[in-house]
Amino acid sequence: MTTGAVIFAQNNSTVDYIKLAIFAASRIKKYLDIPVSVITDTKDYLLKSFPDHGFDQIIEIDFVASVQDKKFFDGSISSKILPWKNHARTNVYDLTPYDRTLVIDSDYIISSSVLKSALDNDYDFQIYKNSFDLAIDRERDFERINQYSIPFYWATVFVFQKNTIMEAFFNLVSYIKTNWSYFRLLYNIDSSTYRNDFAFSIAIHIMDGKTHGDFAIELPGAMTYITDADVLIDIDENKMKFLTQRKNFLGEYTASKTTGLDVHVINKMSLLRYVNGGSGV
Amino acid sequence: MSKGFLVFAQNTDTVDYVRQAYALALSIKFSQPEINNVSLVTNSIVPDEYKSIFDQIIPIPWFKELENSPLQAENRWKLYYATPYDETIVLDSDMLVLADIGLWWDYCGNFDIKFCNKIRNYKLEAIIQDTYHRKTFISNNLPNHYFALHYFKKNQTSFEFYKVLEFVINNWEYCRGTFAPLDPQEWISMDLAVALASKIYGIEDDALSPLEFVHMKPAIQGWATTPTSWRNFVNYVLNKKGEFVVGNIKQEKLFHYIDKNFVDDNLINRLEELANGT
Repeated sequence: MTTGAVIFAQNNSTVDYIKLAIFAASRIKKYLDIPVSVITDTKDYLLKSFPDHGFDQIIEIDFVASVQDKKFFDGSISSKILPWKNHARTNVYDLTPYDRTLVIDSDYIISSSVLKSALDNDYDFQIYKNSFDLAIDRERDFERINQYSIPFYWATVFVFQKNTIMEAFFNLVSYIKTNWSYFRLLYNIDSSTYRNDFAFSIAIHIMDGKTHGDFAIELPGAMTYITDADVLIDIDENKMKFLTQRKNFLGEYTASKTTGLDVHVINKMSLLRYVNGGSGV
Repeated sequence: MSKGFLVFAQNTDTVDYVRQAYALALSIKFSQPEINNVSLVTNSIVPDEYKSIFDQIIPIPWFKELENSPLQAENRWKLYYATPYDETIVLDSDMLVLADIGLWWDYCGNFDIKFCNKIRNYKLEAIIQDTYHRKTFISNNLPNHYFALHYFKKNQTSFEFYKVLEFVINNWEYCRGTFAPLDPQEWISMDLAVALASKIYGIEDDALSPLEFVHMKPAIQGWATTPTSWRNFVNYVLNKKGEFVVGNIKQEKLFHYIDKNFVDDNLINRLEELANGT
């Protein structure tokens, strides 16, 4: 049984996901001690620009022009509309070289070994449902995909085994993705933008027989995150500093600090500034 | 020992409770493989096409015409005297049974009387405290009982409890003033009446009880605004397999729909198909 992590990295004009993936991989290897492979549509760029990338394998997928855009904030005031390539994730079952795979976003920064315990058990599928917003005065809006509907799961980080059940699950996610305009109406999702979190949440709900179920086991702890309205300041070993947007005070922030917490840094521009060698601010 | 479900349904000018009871009985017939006797307690006219679904149709004992009591509390304490069964599960007429609840009989058989004290919303979230509707329960530390689902054996203990319930309902002002003075609720509800009777008689909440139902009062559905009916906010379907799905979530066991306009011809037709296996 082989175990490893995979990271998807598909660049757009502004965000160098390859660079973020290399940084995220270095953290995974340091704290979880497993090999990391990257799935990318820009293999040549990776090899040319980062010869010491450190990936176990580079898995190349076809370059497909993005079919959707997304507004990426960089703090609470600045934003850009950029292509958002998130459609390849449903193919991870076929793409991963490992029997047990940790799939992780390139903006998920590991600072602990807490996910090791998830890699040591035999559950088919583990994923985060509970989450923790570092901006403690912000209203929580990730408990359900909307107030009328089903529980929300984060496709940001998950662990799965290669078996027929998980093959069926990823086939189902692909089906939902292909028929997104139908499923988003069925589940009262306002936005037409395809989002893996929603597709995974719907698929988990269906795998659970549309009721309570134990198909998806929760990863240990809760997924800690900052949104793209917040800013990363810096990272020092397992310590991270952030500025989180104050509720009702646009452009004002509250400082916060974490130690030994894995954090989903959704503000990729800020994370990239840090990775480039400067402050994230 | 005979066992069966008992449903009280007395029509008003605006609500056909007998039709609701018929829908409930159909749902019991298709969902309960073993114990599926249903008796109806009513003084209303029961259409001929409904009669065969019921084990017995029983007149309300010592019936009182009540013009200003839509919930008929003054008649509902009489269920102990009406039931034809040794062991009875009482259900409100505006419910559907969606899955086999046979194990409830086994659990309840260990007790003389057992009230449901747990509800969920359609998202299957447990409602720990219904702070919207049950202020007086919370303020006066009353047991969180729901009359809509309860069990009793025909024995001395249940007889005595129902005598207390009769006393509470017939002496409402005194009982609510004495035992529930905080955040007072003036109108008679069966839930508050059984909570007061339970407090007087000494029946506590039971954290281990499996009795529970999905309660569709809009205020406890976890929505930012409260509609007059839950049907304004979420879609629902009863499919040919008998699965009842609300807001894409499959409902479990017992569904208390509340909405007086919920039962329509389509629902009745589907329930008849399911009950008849067609």
